[in-house]
Amino acid sequence: MSQTFNTQTLPFQFSGKGGEYFRIWIVNLALTILTLGIYSAWAKVRRLQYFYRNTSLANHGFDYHGDPKAILKGRLIGVALLVLYYASESFDPTLGLVAFAVLMLVMPWLVQRSLRFKLHNSSYRGLRFGFDGTVGDAYKAFLLWPVIGYFTLGLLAAVAHQRIKAYQHGNSRYGSEGFSFNVREGKFFGIYFKLLGMVILLIIAVALLAGVFGGMAAVFGGGMSEERKIAAIGIAIAAAIGIYLAAFLLIGPWFAARIQNLVWSGTSLGPHIFSSNVRARDLFWIYLTNFIGILLTLGLFKPFADIRLAKYRLEHMALNAQSSLDEFLAGQQQSISAMGEETADVFDFDIAF
Amino acid sequence: MILPSDVRKVQVKAVYFDGQSARAHEVVLFLSGNSLGVKADHVSRMVALSSLRVSEPLGEAPRLIKFPDGAHCEVRDHAGLVELLAIGGHREGLVVQMQSRWRWALAAVVIAVAAVAAGYRWGLPSVSEWIAFKLPDKALAQMGESTLSYLDQSVFSPSKLPGGRQQALQKAFGQLVIPDEIDAGHVIVFRDSPVIGANAMALPDGTIVVTDQLVSLAEHDEEILGVLAHELGHLKRRHSLRMLIQGSIVGAVVAWYIGDVSSVAAGLPTLMLQMRYSRDHEREADVYAARMLKENGISPVRLADMLKRLEQTHASRTTQQKKAAEEPGFSDYFASHPATRERIQALEKE
Repeated sequence: MSQTFNTQTLPFQFSGKGGEYFRIWIVNLALTILTLGIYSAWAKVRRLQYFYRNTSLANHGFDYHGDPKAILKGRLIGVALLVLYYASESFDPTLGLVAFAVLMLVMPWLVQRSLRFKLHNSSYRGLRFGFDGTVGDAYKAFLLWPVIGYFTLGLLAAVAHQRIKAYQHGNSRYGSEGFSFNVREGKFFGIYFKLLGMVILLIIAVALLAGVFGGMAAVFGGGMSEERKIAAIGIAIAAAIGIYLAAFLLIGPWFAARIQNLVWSGTSLGPHIFSSNVRARDLFWIYLTNFIGILLTLGLFKPFADIRLAKYRLEHMALNAQSSLDEFLAGQQQSISAMGEETADVFDFDIAF
Repeated sequence: MILPSDVRKVQVKAVYFDGQSARAHEVVLFLSGNSLGVKADHVSRMVALSSLRVSEPLGEAPRLIKFPDGAHCEVRDHAGLVELLAIGGHREGLVVQMQSRWRWALAAVVIAVAAVAAGYRWGLPSVSEWIAFKLPDKALAQMGESTLSYLDQSVFSPSKLPGGRQQALQKAFGQLVIPDEIDAGHVIVFRDSPVIGANAMALPDGTIVVTDQLVSLAEHDEEILGVLAHELGHLKRRHSLRMLIQGSIVGAVVAWYIGDVSSVAAGLPTLMLQMRYSRDHEREADVYAARMLKENGISPVRLADMLKRLEQTHASRTTQQKKAAEEPGFSDYFASHPATRERIQALEKE
């Protein structure tokens, strides 16, 4: 196959619709409730299938193959572990600490299993993805570096983040073709330094505002000093909530946008390079309106919110194909249990892209 | 009636992948007897219908026909495929039919909302109560200690009351008969707190904290005993613990639900929802206090008097609280104490 091939930018497309997904989501939610949670495994498969199959690249869709029964088994084990953890924690705090340590020790192993399960059960054009990361490297990426990041007071958090992404992206493959990840730590440091600067600016801004309001309250509130103290406490609480909200709504989308662009623009599949051009202000708008929508509808807007976010993030990604995508070949198949994925899911180890 | 010759005419365009390479083959699908035919320049195969798996319709997403050997077809001609499947005798599952109709979606909304409401109204309190009474003393002690040390660092300073006065109050309360149950092992401590003002609180481990401001606000010691009895009522029913557990459960569920969208939003409803509970708990504690006071020959009106005085001082502290006290109704719902007047009337009737 040595036809001439012009380099093409192939955008990802997402055809999911809020109304459609809402019906799927609510019916599966009701069934999950009626079956006391058992149906949740089937609901999860259906949810992922909706997102995967509505995602397409070069006019062909992705697919998800997870087996609900395997997922249910993993979930049951996960829930059992969680109950054990909380029970041991409440019966004896030291026992809880031991349980926590044990959990932290097995976590990288679970994450590795989870990545294997997730990728093995994803396909595009009939070829499965795969994950070849070793357990040893998982311990370095998910335990060693985060611990180092923690003890250096976050100074090396950027390195930890880079290691995690390198582990995830660098060990994945599509068919027999491997992904590679070429983003140096320095780029992560760049984003983390700006993040730090923004957080400091935000705190100063909120403190100034609080000072102005506090001063006003003191002047107009007048009278008793007790009243002033209460006003001061109220303002301090409002300021804390303000910082939290602003951090979530302003800095959150900025950070998510920068990291997505950095990580995906540095990822390639064989000779093909990914690109991502998510804009912080667009993401900010989506986060804000989703947040308001969910609050106003007491949660019913959630499926619409999920679709909007996925659509934006996916449609701002592309693959710069250097040759025809027809030429990938299947890799060897492995059978993989769902235990890793689901147990990791229950403990909420965030390894989303 | 469908004749074999018509069947042959239903042809659906699809893309075929063999599962071995990513190469896309444009094909045409058709039915022939009990088999599905796949036809293209380089591909031609017939597969028994019974060995195929057809993915359920998910909106505009292409549907997939999976072959036993790992090959599959991607079909975007939805109408054509539906026709083909109907002839082939394929039937969609019940869930698929439900997902495709708004009527069922609406029914699902009703079921989900009813389940959540019922879980919140009945399930949550009983689960929290069950957990609260199952927790070992060690855990309670831990929680009580950490709460008190947190409060000591933030809003409390050591009591300025003379030691004799403290002991006298402790002794007076210790001499009271405690209704029906065994003593839960409570400890009364005093703290100075201009910030919080006149108040008392029961911590999960049995510690009852009374502020100096409350002691000086009282015009009769029996009023203080009334407040202590009220706090003991909270302790007996493990109210603070149940609130804590309820709050954690609601917080966890909301955080899990809203998940990636926000953990901020999780905090707001949790806060508002919790307020509702303390109202019921206040009433329960009042009833307990009234019983305990009467058994010891003290009039529950003492507690009512104290409440009146508390309401006056707190109402004068902030104008907002004053407003809340004057307007029952909307603000009443969000108030952490039920309209205090309501409680005072109930106590005066005892």
